[in-house]
Amino acid sequence: MKWKQAIAGICTGAMLISSLSGCGNTTSAPEESAVSQSQSGAEAVTKEVAEEVVDLEIWVTNTGHLPVEKDSPMYNFYKDLIGVGIIHPYVEWNGGTTYLEQLNLRIAAGEMPDMFLPYGGLETSLIENGALLDLTDLLPEYAPNLWNLIPEDVWNAMRAKDPSGEGRIYIIPNINDYGRNGSMIRQDWLDNLGLSMPTTQEEYVEVLRAFKNDDPNGNGIQDELPTGGRAEARWMEQLFGMYGVAMWEGYPEWDIYDGELTYSAVTSNMRDALEWIASLYAEGLLDPETLLNDKPAWDAKIQSDRVGNWCHLPQESYIYAEAMEAATGVQPDIAILPTISAPGYEGTYYGRRVNSIGWAVKNTDDEAKIQAIMKVFNAYGDQSLWQTFNNGLEGMHSEMVDGQLVRLPEDKSTQQKLVLEPFNGVGTADFVIGLLEEQLSEEREWSVSDSIRNIKDLQQYVKFPAGDGIPSSIYNDYPDIQNRSLYVEYASKIIVGEFPIEKFDEFVEQWYATGGTEVTKAAREWYDMTQQNN
Amino acid sequence: MKESFKDRLFQSIITVILCIWAFIALVPLISVAAMSLSSKAAADLNIVNLWPIGFTFDSWKYILGDNALWRAFWVSLFSTLLGTAAALCITSLMAYPLSKADFPMGRYVMLLVVITMIFKAPVVPYFLTLRTMGLVNNPLVLILPHMLTAYNLAIMRTFFKQFPLEVEEAAQIDGCGYFQILYRIILPSSKAILATVGLFYAVTLWNQFQHPMMFIQDTKLFPLQLKIRQLIGGGTELASVTMASKVNYSEATLSSAAVLFAILPIIMVYPWLQKYFAKGAMLGSVKG
Amino acid sequence: MSKKHASVKALRVKRSVKDWLNLKKYWPLYVMMLPGMIFFITFKYIPMLGSVIAFQDYSVFKGIFGSTWVGLKHFRDLFSYAEFKRVFSNTLILGLLKTVLIFPIPLILSMMLNEIKNLRLKKAIQTSIYIPYFLSWVIVGGLIFDIFGSGGLFNNFRNALGMDTVLAMQKSSWFRPIYVISSIWKDSGWGTVVYLAAISGIDPALYESASMDGASRVQRMRHITLPLLLPTILTLFLLNIGSFLELGFDQVFNLLTPMTYSVGDIFDTYVYRVGIQKGQYSITTAVGLFQSVIGFILVMTFNKLANKFSEDGGLW
Repeated sequence: MKWKQAIAGICTGAMLISSLSGCGNTTSAPEESAVSQSQSGAEAVTKEVAEEVVDLEIWVTNTGHLPVEKDSPMYNFYKDLIGVGIIHPYVEWNGGTTYLEQLNLRIAAGEMPDMFLPYGGLETSLIENGALLDLTDLLPEYAPNLWNLIPEDVWNAMRAKDPSGEGRIYIIPNINDYGRNGSMIRQDWLDNLGLSMPTTQEEYVEVLRAFKNDDPNGNGIQDELPTGGRAEARWMEQLFGMYGVAMWEGYPEWDIYDGELTYSAVTSNMRDALEWIASLYAEGLLDPETLLNDKPAWDAKIQSDRVGNWCHLPQESYIYAEAMEAATGVQPDIAILPTISAPGYEGTYYGRRVNSIGWAVKNTDDEAKIQAIMKVFNAYGDQSLWQTFNNGLEGMHSEMVDGQLVRLPEDKSTQQKLVLEPFNGVGTADFVIGLLEEQLSEEREWSVSDSIRNIKDLQQYVKFPAGDGIPSSIYNDYPDIQNRSLYVEYASKIIVGEFPIEKFDEFVEQWYATGGTEVTKAAREWYDMTQQNN
Repeated sequence: MKESFKDRLFQSIITVILCIWAFIALVPLISVAAMSLSSKAAADLNIVNLWPIGFTFDSWKYILGDNALWRAFWVSLFSTLLGTAAALCITSLMAYPLSKADFPMGRYVMLLVVITMIFKAPVVPYFLTLRTMGLVNNPLVLILPHMLTAYNLAIMRTFFKQFPLEVEEAAQIDGCGYFQILYRIILPSSKAILATVGLFYAVTLWNQFQHPMMFIQDTKLFPLQLKIRQLIGGGTELASVTMASKVNYSEATLSSAAVLFAILPIIMVYPWLQKYFAKGAMLGSVKG
Repeated sequence: MSKKHASVKALRVKRSVKDWLNLKKYWPLYVMMLPGMIFFITFKYIPMLGSVIAFQDYSVFKGIFGSTWVGLKHFRDLFSYAEFKRVFSNTLILGLLKTVLIFPIPLILSMMLNEIKNLRLKKAIQTSIYIPYFLSWVIVGGLIFDIFGSGGLFNNFRNALGMDTVLAMQKSSWFRPIYVISSIWKDSGWGTVVYLAAISGIDPALYESASMDGASRVQRMRHITLPLLLPTILTLFLLNIGSFLELGFDQVFNLLTPMTYSVGDIFDTYVYRVGIQKGQYSITTAVGLFQSVIGFILVMTFNKLANKFSEDGGLW
């Protein structure tokens, strides 16, 4: 009897569940526009309509926003703006791992999306298999906005990815045409202690000592952390930069050392930098938990008025400032610390121009689709549209305030994904500053204007390393070199003092022995090729 | 009969140890609850431990007010109830033959079953197989792949094995066939094991997210865990300029509330099932 | 052999197979197993055939039939990986710790729970101890980092005793103890469910008559509870030993820091870095196969031993 009941239950249940999937939309989207007429219906009525709207399936990073389904509000938004139907399914991002798996599964099933972000170096094998559309001639002709927006040398870096050596372009990069990360210091702490901005390494260390011992945050407790960073020795460029170690958010980069393109982690710059940083750690001038901090932990320390100097994005310094005020009542004055050079080296902050790969397009012969894709790219590159893209749908992503559209805070349960975010794909300081200026209200002047000033100040110190834009294909067959796991292990242990600095030489030897030699060779070959193309 | 001093001491020591253990085991839950009731500022400063700081219900209001989350809740509830019932049927059906010592095929089938537990299929072929079966975006994918696990099958088989043979033989003499033995005699006396295995299936079904992540694209069909992963835990995207929110919840507090929302229902199940674990559950059978 | 002799022999073989299958007697049992068999074939065995990609340079674009065959290349790469010895020994050691230290705990806990007389208290304790199982390792891992951090319980305790602060999560010597203790803390409670169900099947009359004969609680545990739990213990042991080298990615990943790689990097984390994060399915499958083969050998060995130890104690 249990049986029969169960079987009956299963049947009814299965019917119930399948009917559930057909149910209407119960997500609480604030604006539900009337279902747009089907395109064929509209066409039948108006014969003058040029083409039927082509639908494209687009995959991008989505950290939890609602998908864009056919005839949904954002679908119509893009359709009205560009004339193309954009469909974006929700694919979990999870740091890229889940996204990559999902993408691979779709490709295995023969259902590659029309336009997508080729995460994880996927583009290499896709190009080899002829799976991507050749954009070389299409872009200049049909998407001139985007073509002209991205500098020539960056396009050449993209050409270098063509394994056939013919220099065809198959992917569109994401670039940051400005310096994003820099070393920031508490100007108000310096003022409190009567110190001036340090200009030499010795002065810097003295400042750190003063931060630690002289109670600059004035609360009577010795809780100050003069400087620090995060796990895997990331976000510590304020220290590494003094030795000219090319690094981006903690990831060592390729630059010219001793006249040759070399991985910065195995240079004498890195050795001396690590030795110095280890001495700082031993003296207690670094947060002892530096190598354990994750982002929330480190952010929490900054926001509780405990950190004197850190590395991050000046364009976000106002967020930290405001959080600090909310938490402690203190209104910090955050300024850029001008580059300091360690003896014998040239201190630099590094930028990363070719940040990552932005777009790949599925190979197709469908002319209508190709035209639609080009339309999207052309709109993507049209800077006059960027504000519109950023503001999204009124009511969902932004609201009208004093006649101007202002962005609403992020709310994943109601907002659909802004599929096209060209301001992220092609980052410029001007656009970022423009957005910040929008946020400038009376009460926020103190924090936001600091950010704006800091962005401008930073640019003079920023350099792009020679290996900017190097393809991940140089790491083929050597995933652990790409993961830099050996570097992270040695660097962490040297900094906390578990390994003496002499172990660094062992690290360099092992790095070269386990694939570093081959990777360096491939990197230098790439570099020579780009030099030729230029 | 009065218990000896040694025995009572023994019992007291055990009780004390268990109480301490239980208390320590509650710590993570209390910590999560405290976070879910704390303010954004407190969460950002990372100072919340076992007690809420800046007490606020805002995170809970957000979670309980999200219709999509409730929808996912019902999806999970349905699929868990149906899946558990179906799984119990199929598992007991298969465990019984495998438990009969005189059934020669039993050993070989069991070996084949254990192999499936040890050797796992790689993700791409698995995906393609289920896709060919039409399970993509199909609600049945929330139930079918979980109908049997080698682990639960083995446990049930071990329990069935311990069922006294005399009772079965007596029934056979009375003219009962195997089906009738299973359903009229064995199952009614196996409440404890059915409750146990049922609980295991229910927990797996309720917590599932890998199958739906791979096979379900329609967000309206997402079960609870997957929906929570979408809403929270995705991190914030790289925005050119992040809009500072004036809300009193943060990712950390929301995720704590969501975690509690997801696990409280399933935690409640075991205490309710405990009546099936009464001592001597199989008592009646031997005498009868 | 004469033709007649051979055909009689063949007939005898055929008949004995048929006898062995004994369809006439056992047909209901075969029918009962049918749904389960179909399940295993479709959901397990067919996809398992895809494991061949471990011997290919699998490309999702080309599919199984289009990808090139590379034989044992991935296994060779695995064994020649610079840190292979380390990864292997870490996995082995943690596996041993899991089997020897962690496996017995749920059993001990259940027997202890069985001694509690007050039903309400028993129910309350049972429910509390299994709650940590439901929290993910992301959460529990975060908690552990907090506890062992500079302002956490662990160091507060040390400071109170006059000892200096130790950042345990950075020290490789602390990794394994923390692994074992956190595993026990999180998962043992849940593990008691099966044992408690088994215990509930023990006839209370046995306990009564034993205590009337003067047996103490400890003696009752040793001579009644334990032997009657033996089949369950053996089954669970055999089920667990199959995944000896598969320690479960989540726990180690959430407790690992670069400074503890030397003791904490295991197959699962290695394959995550090198295979999964990069979408390299061939490598992932190859390592998985390696882990499975070892697990299978272990199950076969222990199953034989279990059968010797107790009549029909093994899984097959």
